[in-house]
Amino acid sequence: MKDTKVPSVAIGPVIATSLLALALATMPMGAIAQDNDLQGDIRFSWWGGQVRNDKTDRIIQLFEAANPGVSISRETADFVPYWERLTIQSAGNNQPCAITMQSRWLATYARPDILMPLDDLVADGTLDVTGIPDAVMDSSRGADGNLYMIPHGVFYFALMYNEQMLENGIAAGVEPMEWPYTWEEYAEHLRAIQATLPDGAVATHNMGREPDAFIPWVQSHGEKVFEGSEVAFSQEIAVAWFEYWEELRREGVTESPEEMISENSALVEESNLANGRGYATNRPPNQLGSVQTVTNTVNPGATINTRPYPVGPDGTVGMDLGTNGIAIGANCAAEQIPATAAWINFWTQNPEAAGIYQSDNGVVSIPELANAQAADPATQPTQVRLIELYNEVVPTANPVFWPAGGYQAMTDVLNRSYDAVAFEQLTPEQGAEQLISELQQQLSQAAR
Amino acid sequence: MSTIDSSNNPVLSAAEAGRPLRQIPENRSGSALKKAENRAAYLFLLPWLCGIVLITTLPMLASLYLSFTNYAVIGLPSWVGFDNYVRLFTGDRRFVASIWVTLKFVGFSVPLILIFSLCVAVALNRGLRGLAIYRSLFYVPSLIGASVGIGLLWKEVFGERGVVNYLLSLVGIAGRGWINNPTFALPSVITLNVWTFGASMVIFLAALRQIPDSYYEAASIDGANALQRFRRITLPLITPVIFFNTVLLLIGSFQSFTQAFVVSNGRGGPIDSTLLYSLYLYQQAFQQLQMGYASAMAWILLIAIGLATAVLFWSSRYWVFYGDR
Repeated sequence: MKDTKVPSVAIGPVIATSLLALALATMPMGAIAQDNDLQGDIRFSWWGGQVRNDKTDRIIQLFEAANPGVSISRETADFVPYWERLTIQSAGNNQPCAITMQSRWLATYARPDILMPLDDLVADGTLDVTGIPDAVMDSSRGADGNLYMIPHGVFYFALMYNEQMLENGIAAGVEPMEWPYTWEEYAEHLRAIQATLPDGAVATHNMGREPDAFIPWVQSHGEKVFEGSEVAFSQEIAVAWFEYWEELRREGVTESPEEMISENSALVEESNLANGRGYATNRPPNQLGSVQTVTNTVNPGATINTRPYPVGPDGTVGMDLGTNGIAIGANCAAEQIPATAAWINFWTQNPEAAGIYQSDNGVVSIPELANAQAADPATQPTQVRLIELYNEVVPTANPVFWPAGGYQAMTDVLNRSYDAVAFEQLTPEQGAEQLISELQQQLSQAAR
Repeated sequence: MSTIDSSNNPVLSAAEAGRPLRQIPENRSGSALKKAENRAAYLFLLPWLCGIVLITTLPMLASLYLSFTNYAVIGLPSWVGFDNYVRLFTGDRRFVASIWVTLKFVGFSVPLILIFSLCVAVALNRGLRGLAIYRSLFYVPSLIGASVGIGLLWKEVFGERGVVNYLLSLVGIAGRGWINNPTFALPSVITLNVWTFGASMVIFLAALRQIPDSYYEAASIDGANALQRFRRITLPLITPVIFFNTVLLLIGSFQSFTQAFVVSNGRGGPIDSTLLYSLYLYQQAFQQLQMGYASAMAWILLIAIGLATAVLFWSSRYWVFYGDR
């Protein structure tokens, strides 16, 4: 249900936004889009590593060259510190004008006193959302129904595997596997592959502690992860998840619990997959390019590919979809809004910018641009695969609505609960009970 | 009027003894001078006063207020009374776990650092050539030990494919992921902390060098062996320094954060085995955004450190020898 109650502290920014929208609506569009008329210094923040930083920098230079009156200050950080910094900035009313945002974290910040509601700017054409599907736009709304970011990339999670190990396995009699395959079929496939692997290699990373794998498990079994700010999955489904991975671990199909933890935080260079010590793991498909690049160095000749998560016993697909986009800070001064809006439009709509970025942080949200990237011979094969797989899974994917603090809480509690099971300090039943109770406790705290 | 005693020391009369050493005339110009001196003193104290008020006292008072509120950083705090304190002691399993982890950390780290640094200081005090070089080398870990870089290095050293496991493999022992195992993770962090013994060692070394050689010579003439000299002369004379180091180490260890944070990727794992109190406080404040709850934790930590230090001061009257009592 749409909550129309606006906190008193939010009235100022809302009025300012409305007045601004009114003022902008009366201006000719050309005045906003005109390169030389646009003025202002704005701050733009994003997360990512050096490759993404370089791409972003090139796009900013392109934009600044096209808009000589605009200057963009760069603020970058790794993923986790990025959110900590944004929180502190928000507390001090010092957030940047253009803020890279993610649907999984949106609920924490989706308030008119932190992020500017963008519906009016979209309605009057200041923000251009041409070509972005409605479903993707809807993932950028807060619990109050307001639009808080313009999505530029759609991300999903999938499995990665070593193609050479698969080919060797097939040569040794392992049945090839085509998606959709069930979780049980996938486990059988891993067992069969394990028998063909060299000494010291394991068929799969133990994903018992990984939220990105647990979500598809829950949803493919017909259950919801959250209902508002309540845990919605059953204890039985969590027990079954822990037992699934414990069985594979005891059979030697996964690494030891100690190595499972180090794999979880390992750099690509150190990972079992890149070093030929593991056949399959779970990593965001947008990392396929960097994983392949590192693999070429540490394990030459190996090809890494990606494929979807298994489906439920009845064929239900449980994959989650998320969006990355750009939001506008509620503290952004009125005179900075035109430049900020122009920057967001440039980032999301400009084909040259999209060509530089190459879906680095999720498949570009405009299907025409995504298909053009896939068809462009200059696009990296790994990015082409990312877009192909996206087209394959997106029709049946099931996006999760993450409550405030939900992703952080899920990662924290699932890690601890499964670790205790894997080190045999808790039974799967006790681990599932801890998972649900502590997750609910954290969600309730965040919702207070 | 002062007189001279038998040792040629001046002796003051009772009236003279009660008089200030420096008389400031009570006339107007003297009063002005006194005021000017006071003004200068306050001027010099001003930066410190500003610091203590703005950077320490006000944030502490704000934190005390926040500890009675529900404050999620974003938005305004709402008053909840003692709710945060009640929840900490009645409904938070991880809070209790973090206390136990911290007590184990402090209980092992402080004595080990004291023993290790004293042993090294005694060894260095034997008139070694190149003492300054050794002293600097041993002191370096104190400067960098709490840094993120060293935490990362430690992670590699004790990792699955780290140096420790390599060395063990040379003697036929199969290693394991020390920092990723709940049994060995905390001992690994304690080892890293003990490695930063240099600061205590330098203080011990300075104290050892203050002990007059004549004490040892006299003891040797009386037939005392090295162990007896250490036990009967060295230890009693450096008890004030042992006490000083213990207080510093105790306070520092209770607040330890960086090493556990880096080694466990900020999680305090595996299974909360390295969840030091400060790390859990940080998680509550900056990861779960429960700033009111974290403020309550901070005040409990302050009280706990205050109590532990007070007990240490109380006990010092039984074991610290100042030589003048």
